[in-house]
Amino acid sequence: MTPSVSYNVSSSPHVRSPLSTGQVMYDVILALMPATFFGIWHFGVHALFVVLMSVVSAVLTEFVFDYLTGRENTLYDGSAVLTGLLLALCIPASVPLYIPYIGSVFAILVVKCFFGGLGKNFMNPALGGRCFLLLSFGSAMTNYAVDGVTGATPLARLASGETVNLVQMFTGHGGGVLGCSAFALLLGGLYLWVIDAIPWRIPVSVLLSFGVFMGLFGGDGFNLPLLCAHLIGGGVFMAAFFMATDPVTSPVTAPGQLLYGCCVGVLSGFFRVFGSSADSVSYAIILSNLFTPLIDELIIPKPFAYRNSAADAPSGGFRKSMLPALCAAVCVLGVSVGLLRGVAGVTADVVEKRQLSENLTVYRALLPDAVDFSIPEETKQAIEALNGAAWGSGFGNAVIREAVSATDAVGAAAGHVVTVRTMDGRDGPITLSVGFLPNGTLNGILYSELNETPGIGMKVEEESFTGQFIGIPASTLSLGTEIDAASGATISSTAVLNAVNAAIDFHAAYGDKMN
Amino acid sequence: MTERTFRGGVHPDDGKAYSRDAALTVYEPKGELVFPVSQHIGKPAKVAVSVGDKVLAGQVLAEQDGYVSSRIHSSCSGTVKAIEKRRTVMGGLAECVVVENDGKFRAVKGMGTKTDFRNLSREEILQKIRDAGIVGMGGASFPTPVKLEPKNPDGIEYVIVNGAECEPFITCDDQLMRTHAGEIVTGLKVMLSLFPQARGVILIEENKPEAIEAMTEAVSMEKNIRVQPAPTKYPQGGEKSIIKVVAGKDTKMSQLPAEAGCIVDNVSTVYAIYEAVCRATPLIRRAVTVTGPAVKNPGNFIVRVGTSFRELLDAAGGLADGAEIRKAIAGGAMMGIAMPDLDVPVQKASNALTLLTVDGVEEADKKLTPCIRCGRCNEVCPMGLTPQMMGVAAERKEYGKYENRLYGLECISCGSCTYICPAKRPLMQLFKDAKGAILEARRMAQQGGGAK
Repeated sequence: MTPSVSYNVSSSPHVRSPLSTGQVMYDVILALMPATFFGIWHFGVHALFVVLMSVVSAVLTEFVFDYLTGRENTLYDGSAVLTGLLLALCIPASVPLYIPYIGSVFAILVVKCFFGGLGKNFMNPALGGRCFLLLSFGSAMTNYAVDGVTGATPLARLASGETVNLVQMFTGHGGGVLGCSAFALLLGGLYLWVIDAIPWRIPVSVLLSFGVFMGLFGGDGFNLPLLCAHLIGGGVFMAAFFMATDPVTSPVTAPGQLLYGCCVGVLSGFFRVFGSSADSVSYAIILSNLFTPLIDELIIPKPFAYRNSAADAPSGGFRKSMLPALCAAVCVLGVSVGLLRGVAGVTADVVEKRQLSENLTVYRALLPDAVDFSIPEETKQAIEALNGAAWGSGFGNAVIREAVSATDAVGAAAGHVVTVRTMDGRDGPITLSVGFLPNGTLNGILYSELNETPGIGMKVEEESFTGQFIGIPASTLSLGTEIDAASGATISSTAVLNAVNAAIDFHAAYGDKMN
Repeated sequence: MTERTFRGGVHPDDGKAYSRDAALTVYEPKGELVFPVSQHIGKPAKVAVSVGDKVLAGQVLAEQDGYVSSRIHSSCSGTVKAIEKRRTVMGGLAECVVVENDGKFRAVKGMGTKTDFRNLSREEILQKIRDAGIVGMGGASFPTPVKLEPKNPDGIEYVIVNGAECEPFITCDDQLMRTHAGEIVTGLKVMLSLFPQARGVILIEENKPEAIEAMTEAVSMEKNIRVQPAPTKYPQGGEKSIIKVVAGKDTKMSQLPAEAGCIVDNVSTVYAIYEAVCRATPLIRRAVTVTGPAVKNPGNFIVRVGTSFRELLDAAGGLADGAEIRKAIAGGAMMGIAMPDLDVPVQKASNALTLLTVDGVEEADKKLTPCIRCGRCNEVCPMGLTPQMMGVAAERKEYGKYENRLYGLECISCGSCTYICPAKRPLMQLFKDAKGAILEARRMAQQGGGAK
């Protein structure tokens, strides 16, 4: 029997590849699995909660938005799951669970849904979420459970001649954000490359241009271990393989992808070398995302038949169309850097005052006669120059956080306070401030961060221990002579003593310049 | 050295297993035969018979009208029943000559007479091809004599027989090459006799080893002809892809193959040239593949032009058990034309009837998402275009940008971009709309200019 109904009529082609948008997303999710599992294994069950929280809130946000706005349910395309997962891998594993929740809601609702949903977002939603979190919850977002890979700390150590375990950094045992295993990320990235899910041009141009930029301007030339550390650390692999390759926010043409990749690489290097934030790569990608429409508009490759004929001089057309794009990119970059500098200048005082007020109670307690506190320029620069590296040698992992000078009611010098954070505590970091009187004696210590074992390590908080730091000369102290350890808490006592010694040493070096 | 393959392209499931080994079978039609007067690019032929006339197989029904046009012959003997508008492969109604088939298939006098082409002059050969009403039988249906008369015959370096058959499902050229290799080579030699400087190349995709073997053997004594296997990749059989692979040149839409020193003709066309020049037989029969999951006994048939597709399906055993046609395609799955029903005649360029139980377009519409700008379409475009941007421009009706900045009129409609798109965007549809609108505007402008 031949049916008499009329058959479907449509434009060719009548067969379609099995590939779907959902498949594209799930391929990337699959590629992120090694890094996710490593993160959960390395950081423990809380990391799993962070991942779940991030993914579930991303999906729910999209679902609710679709429902409220009467849109077709778009969950099946898998992009919300991917955004949630990417965001989770970019934040420290120890954050409280409201952080991934807020990040995911911002990423999906503000960056994606408000701009038209899938395919319309102007920047990578996961990175948008991460940067939002960085700006809103800076301390939680940079508080790595283990001293972080992300950020300049190990890089700074390397630069100052100390050794950093590159292998540890590579596998992810160095710590950092949840997706800190460069090895696992590389594995996933190569998988995507092999199955042709990402254009090779973007990761290659990002890594190459970043490496070359760091070699030229990083200050240490083409020093191989240092370059490797730069490439492995700070989320560069995550960026090159998973963030910069987000198709929606990267150019669609081959030459455009190369230019965009170089843009990401150079900006990452630029921000890392000249910028103040350790998160150079995130901002570099977001800024490059904004260039994408411009790149797409200006670099349109000609059809093959038009590329090499005499009428269209070889590469002439290409270069001509590149010029305005490059000029525009450089101009925008210049203006934004200028603006940032300007804003930083205007707000510096405010920032300084606010920072002071947070610690003011501590400072007042240490120097009761003081009325006004200020941060001297000299020490501020000195601390910044350290870039998070430990102070001196022989004090363990003690990092100078802040040094302030005080004046009394009549404007005379009333002493100094130096705040130190040490990583050597028995159960976590310890932050303490040391008071120095103008006559060169100590005036006590105060903790602002102390998480030692109750009943043992916490004894360093007791008056019998802290009282020893009042009224003695500000010169290097040692256990058993000037100071007695809190009973049964030798590790914690040593950590505190080292921190105080670091403060004394720093004060000895800079105290004269602080008035 | 020339390149072995072209840039871009896709690898759709070739679906050739249905019919690749089914030997060519002659099918003689029973019912009326329908001959559209426009089966070619160019001016429709002028009807040369009246209702009631008795006609023989090979007799002219409609005469070539102008240079770019082609004759239409009756493929059976019988009586002209009507001259009226009937539905054709193109979907619309078009002028057709309907012949009541008497079932005897008596031919005009002299048809089938053997002739040695070496005794013919260049002009005589061209006249025979013209008289036989030969057009490109791979699908484009451009009048072949026009192709064979380039401005500078000495500038032709390659005469290429297109045996790529890259379209999914179609296998008739494969079978023709396996069983009629000698005739095809003779047809190629006829063409080569027109171009003294040219070498012959027979290009076959690697998924047809038997055809490669047969043709290689047939050219073993020919110094001037070689068989060139090419990697299996769609659209290898596109004219521009073939020129790229054989001559290493990219050609623009405005350039004829002859400008790149090439003459490209499909296997069936070359066979038709052999028949016309050496057998005094006009183009009234051709090889057609009837295939697809909906067909009971998929096969390859020698069919008289004008036969109804419905008869052809019956010749292939009708529908497979329990199968329901979702889509009926004249041609292959990538570039074929979807037909609303099967009561449509086989034309000179009809190489296949593909019947699908699942319509890829219908399924794709269910999975439609916004474009995620993945750029796969740009990667696969064999012309080096940017289908992603063309799609956006076409959607916004930015035809100026589409034409001038994106070179959208250089699209060869191969559909590779649409095939690969994970978001299932209907790119080809958008491009067809855009091209149509641009060409229409151009026509209007020309008419306006002419009126002044």
